[in-house]
Amino acid sequence: MRRAAALCALLCLALTACSPAPAKQSSTIFAMDTVMELQLYGDGAVLAESTRLITELEKELSATDPEGGVYAFNHTGTELGKSAAELFLRAMDISRLTGGAMDITVYPVVLAWGFTTGQYRVPGDEEIAALLEKVGYTKASGFDLPQGAMIDLGAVAKGYTSDLIADLWRQRGISSGLMNLGGNVYALGKKPDGSPWLVGVRDPFSDTFLGTVEAEDVAVVTSGAYERYFERDGVIYHHIIDPKTGRPAKSGLASVTVIGPDGTLCDGLSTAFFVLGLDRAAEIWKSCEADGASPDFDVLFVTDGGEIYITEGLEGSFSPTNDYDTGDVRVIRRG
Amino acid sequence: MVKTRTWIVLISALLLLSLGLTLWLWLHPTGGRTANIYVDGELVRSVDLAAVEGEETFTVDTGRGLNVITVSEGRLRVSGADCPDKVCVNSGWLSGSAPIVCLPHRLVIKFADSSGGPDAVAG
Repeated sequence: MRRAAALCALLCLALTACSPAPAKQSSTIFAMDTVMELQLYGDGAVLAESTRLITELEKELSATDPEGGVYAFNHTGTELGKSAAELFLRAMDISRLTGGAMDITVYPVVLAWGFTTGQYRVPGDEEIAALLEKVGYTKASGFDLPQGAMIDLGAVAKGYTSDLIADLWRQRGISSGLMNLGGNVYALGKKPDGSPWLVGVRDPFSDTFLGTVEAEDVAVVTSGAYERYFERDGVIYHHIIDPKTGRPAKSGLASVTVIGPDGTLCDGLSTAFFVLGLDRAAEIWKSCEADGASPDFDVLFVTDGGEIYITEGLEGSFSPTNDYDTGDVRVIRRG
Repeated sequence: MVKTRTWIVLISALLLLSLGLTLWLWLHPTGGRTANIYVDGELVRSVDLAAVEGEETFTVDTGRGLNVITVSEGRLRVSGADCPDKVCVNSGWLSGSAPIVCLPHRLVIKFADSSGGPDAVAG
């Protein structure tokens, strides 16, 4: 009897030894022309606050909504809101870092291709040449743009949104959470069990993922031609327009994933690197020394031929799935 | 003495039974996964894909429009919809990496159990 009681006590102890973990809260939000999944461990009220923040940002950053902040800036010269103005300046920094491979002023060309409306068309050479005259981040003076120029913050909007939500979560004392803003992932802290979040990287050639990276307090953002495209006369035209040519970028890459603590930077760089191609992107990564002062990020490239290149910070964190061999993964080093 | 032996037999039998069951379940995975259908973030229907014999088709009224769902041989897809872009229809069969999404109708379909896979997929 005493033994049974002791066993019972032991069992009770085993069951109650762990303090209760904060409950998982999750929500799905339809915004910024995509579906967003938020999950965090803690107070559910923070999710409602996050949703309000997303709704506000969507309005302020939208170039397509006639009531949107960027739309008003483009069409009537209305001053940008506080967040849009901040993001405008961040985007200009990324343009400078990448020699204009990501450029928010490419918008008039994107409009001509129909990528914002879904009414796709292939603009002629003369039309593109005329539109490109208004394109170029160097033509902006502060927030002043040449006549006829327009901006779209879409290439950095989701990354920026993830940064602001992560800030909000930290302010509210959340130490574990994960958000997926239409393929832009941000992992806050670790999982409640203490292990890092595992973020898959989509395989650009199939509907599955090619591998996973361990993520803790970083954004994981992928740009790929497969995201949005149309076919005309047997030719595939995708949505990432090279600001230099005014046409879909052809750089030999199928997708680029950028991983780092700054979601805005990762978002902008993934687009820029897709445009630049492996060699030029790797040069920029190498020029950003891991000294704490330069931008901090790592990159995973998938070439059109299916080869995977990772920068050295992802060694040990990236694991390919069974479809890929670890031996197929090449590591890019600074040294 | 007899009592102890009874207990030993009983517990051994139980142990063997559970071991056997574990082994059987392991060797005969149902492949059966449950697909959850959400409208505006709310779960509206769960489909046990293994339980569907032959082919089954049903319509989800999302309030913003209709999506026709087809389940066949343990797989699920959106086979028709009155949305403008038809991205949901063109997504094909539901896979483990990404949910099927119909943005205009705020419809999301994904597997209920994603254990073993990553926590999120970027792309």
